[in-house]
Amino acid sequence: MLTTEDIKGVIEKRGSSKEHLMFILRDLENISGNNQLEIDVLEKVAEITKIPKSTIAGFVGFYTMFKTNPRAPFIIRVCKSGPCHVMGARTIFDAVERNLGIKPGEATPDGLFYLEQCECLGVCSVAPAMMINYDIHGNLTEKKIKQILESYKSQKAIFGEKCGPEVEGKACVIDDDRQTKRLLVMVGKVDPLSIDSYIKNGGYAAIRKAIREYSSDDVINIVKDSGLSGRGGAGFPAGLKWSFMPKGDMQKYVICNADEGEPGTFKDRVLMEENPHLIIEGMLLCGYATGATVGYIYVRGEFRRAIERLQRAIDQARESRMLGKHLSGSTFSFDIFIKEGGGAYVCGEESSLMNSMEGKRGFPRFRPPFPAGAGFMGMPSNVNNVETYASVPMIIEHGATWYKSLGTEKCSGTKLYCLSGKLNRTGLVELPMGTTLRELIDIYGKGIKDGKTFKFAQVGGSAGGVFGEDLLDLPLDIDQTIKAGVTLGSGVVLACDKDTCAVDFLLNIISFFAHESCGQCVPCRVGTSQLHFLAKKFAMRTAVEKDIDSMIEKAQLMKQASLCALGQSPILPITTTLKYFREEFLNHCNTRYSCPECDMTLERFYR
Amino acid sequence: MQEIKFTINGKDVTGGKGQTILEIALKNGFDIPYLCYHPKISKTGACRMCIVRVNEVMLKTACTEPAMEGMKVITEDEEIIKIRKGILELLLAEGDHNCLYCDANGACELQTLVHRYNIDQVAYEYPKRNREIDYESSEGLKRNENRCILCGRCVKACGEIQLSNVWSFTDRGGHTHLTSGLYEKIGDSSCVKCGACVQLCPTGSLSFQTVLGRGENWELTKESSICIYCGVGCKIDYYKNKEGLLVKTIGHDDGPNRGHLCVKGRFGFDFIQNGKRLSKPLIKRNGVFEEASWDEALDLVASKFIEIKDKYGPDSIAALSSAKCTNEENYLMQKIMRAVIGTNNVDHCARL
Ligand SMILES: Cc1cc2nc3c(=O)[nH]c(=O)nc-3n(C[C@H](O)[C@H](O)[C@H](O)COP(=O)(O)O)c2cc1C
Ligand code: SF4
Ligand code: SF4
Ligand code: SF4
Ligand code: SF4
Repeated sequence: MLTTEDIKGVIEKRGSSKEHLMFILRDLENISGNNQLEIDVLEKVAEITKIPKSTIAGFVGFYTMFKTNPRAPFIIRVCKSGPCHVMGARTIFDAVERNLGIKPGEATPDGLFYLEQCECLGVCSVAPAMMINYDIHGNLTEKKIKQILESYKSQKAIFGEKCGPEVEGKACVIDDDRQTKRLLVMVGKVDPLSIDSYIKNGGYAAIRKAIREYSSDDVINIVKDSGLSGRGGAGFPAGLKWSFMPKGDMQKYVICNADEGEPGTFKDRVLMEENPHLIIEGMLLCGYATGATVGYIYVRGEFRRAIERLQRAIDQARESRMLGKHLSGSTFSFDIFIKEGGGAYVCGEESSLMNSMEGKRGFPRFRPPFPAGAGFMGMPSNVNNVETYASVPMIIEHGATWYKSLGTEKCSGTKLYCLSGKLNRTGLVELPMGTTLRELIDIYGKGIKDGKTFKFAQVGGSAGGVFGEDLLDLPLDIDQTIKAGVTLGSGVVLACDKDTCAVDFLLNIISFFAHESCGQCVPCRVGTSQLHFLAKKFAMRTAVEKDIDSMIEKAQLMKQASLCALGQSPILPITTTLKYFREEFLNHCNTRYSCPECDMTLERFYR
Repeated sequence: MQEIKFTINGKDVTGGKGQTILEIALKNGFDIPYLCYHPKISKTGACRMCIVRVNEVMLKTACTEPAMEGMKVITEDEEIIKIRKGILELLLAEGDHNCLYCDANGACELQTLVHRYNIDQVAYEYPKRNREIDYESSEGLKRNENRCILCGRCVKACGEIQLSNVWSFTDRGGHTHLTSGLYEKIGDSSCVKCGACVQLCPTGSLSFQTVLGRGENWELTKESSICIYCGVGCKIDYYKNKEGLLVKTIGHDDGPNRGHLCVKGRFGFDFIQNGKRLSKPLIKRNGVFEEASWDEALDLVASKFIEIKDKYGPDSIAALSSAKCTNEENYLMQKIMRAVIGTNNVDHCARL
């Protein structure tokens, strides 16, 4: 039990205003000994910070990483999202269960381990994966799990990330010379722990150049000319977005969306771990262009190492006067702070992200106002993805024309594609916008794993669509995927072979949405639950044909009426899966149909 | 406020810049349905019932969308009806709505819309999640969250009007529900029983302890009056049943209270119809109280005051006045003490 002094100490260190609630609670949970936020402790936090008790209760209830019930010194979180699912996540649960004798939501009798399901950990190239406290372990097998668990029995619980070597950012980049590396060019070369190394490799030249040679409007115009579009999923032109920021000397913010929650995405993590200064420099350029003086990086709470490396980079940048007041002798001042997530995919949605940064439940906001009008703390804010910011320094350095020399007519530059699933080689590749699925699978993925045949690929993550063979040659850029009725999203390519059951796969996607819906608006809150129920009926062989129509109808209503893009998303995976595999769904309507994937144990995973 | 002109269902309307479509539509008599919107709280935009068509193509929630010059708004068409029906069906499937047992029956915004959109009773196969039912812990409020549509009005009523922040949503997705305080019973929370949350609740999820069993909602008649307690002078609608018994109070929007009440105005009305209430003066004779006329009683009091004043001096008399009296009455009280009795011994109970 934590003492009042412990609690006071944490609050004093973190600050007592609501926007620090995530940090306060995380610290308290970490020092609690059994990863628990006791009600008495929360009561004390409310008393000291004057944050209403109900606000704290609502906050703790929203973020899945927090629990008020006792857990254990080691929390084992096994990922069940798409890529891990395809690579056998369910067998991992079984293996952990066999080893420790516990099911999700239970602690071992010795009180050492506690098992939980979790959504994507952002290490999809080494799926299946699990996280023990903040250590991530990938490429799991029954044998490996046994060794890992054994090794923890004699350890003290720590809360930094010391993951296996296979999970390291640079280990997740595919080693292949045919790539067109721009964002990744320094990965593995630059020492992420040293600003000197970054500067030696040409770092911070772009911001110096901008301050020296360009006005803020020049910078916006160059980014506009470059054709850089957002890399977080929606693909909005970055320069245009920057130009929406109002002029004037009110407080403005630059926000970096590093929530990377879309299952199958792990590109932002690699950039943050391997080249944190590149992101800082991109944000500096945005601050210079928009007149913002404060930046925030919102990193998902699971990415301990990324958080630590970014913080170290920020500290070094402050020391080297790359962050702070009057940079490079100019009138431009800029500083960056880190905010953390707490286990909520919806917090990657930009307005939800800002609510979360303010210490609130991650409810998306209605629009207007847009972030540039009223964002973080009601002030003008510009939100971009990690990869988007990381693309800016090279544009300023080499110019818009150079940037446009790669990519397609409407979508310039390179894209980080995240390859996962049943491929002979998985990982991150950087290729010109518009690379086809066939190239990605055959050349960079070295074909479908173990010589099996391709069944489908999910492109763009859970919110993306399923691609059959007819789309193998579609250039994967933002524009052409939309025209084809699908999406590039965050650049996820999850390949599946003939062993993957389409029904089981869709159930997995829908259960993800049901788990991650914020619950604010009616169509999505109730719709995702009902979709989950219907999809489960197919997997359990209790569905009838008209349940297919019911699913489409629900998802259609959600598409039309949901408040944010999360609720508008399920229609795409549903219709694209059904486009190819309606027959398979109908087969599953027969109680006697045998499917090795949809065995009766799945009931346990999809409650 | 800068004036803007646009059309709703083809009719010209004017409104102020910054106002939402819904605000202007309601003011001009257009009936756009809504559940989470309420004029007394900030915008929510979550129930999605007020979706309207803007400029022929876009669907927008009227409660959040600022009206723009030249905009063309259609409040209802086939597609919109389908969406609204769909939303209502989702709500009915999510909660447990048997109006027969419900305090809000006949005064429920959800019920009204279900009738308006002609929703069939459907035997939904979807599992329901049991939420909190608590009829006991609070003397003022009853809670049956299985009737809750998670509109958030209560959260904002308590947070933005009463500033007690008792309610919040907790959990998320289909598991979302309300919490009072840190997962406490409402009666154990910091609730001050102002009743604002109940007054704004569109359904029977939150209700007053005083209502059930005292007549159907459609039988109640209301009369507006001023609260008999403190000097704020809140305007209140008193609801009484067929037998003339007061059953509930609703804050009236036109008073200085703008619809809000405190616990006294909200619940402190049962004494009015209590049989023990004094309605005639009583004089104690030989140890027994006997009914008397006002003249008799006042003469007696006056003569006793004169007697005391003569015998012990004016400062042996003091007056304690009441916050329940009007300013004028309190003025008269001090006047009579100073000018007639001749003492400054005047005080006031200040709180009730
Ligand atoms: C449910 C949901 C989750 C999202 N998650 C992320 C995310 O993890 N990272 C991200 O950069 N953008 C995410 N987005 C997109 C953001 O809302 C926003 O469009 C993006 O951060 C803007 O940056 P960009 O223009 O650079 O892409 C998400 C959107 C939705 C609707
Ligand atoms: S669509 Fe879903 S996630 Fe988005 S606001 Fe509505 S309930 Fe929340
Ligand atoms: S809340 Fe409304 S719809 Fe639900 S049971 Fe009560 S009266 Fe009926
Ligand atoms: S009665 Fe008043 S204080 Fe109590 S919960 Fe409702 S709004 Fe809050
Ligand atoms: S209790 Fe009433 S006001 Fe509160 S969220 Fe539920 S339905 Fe809305």
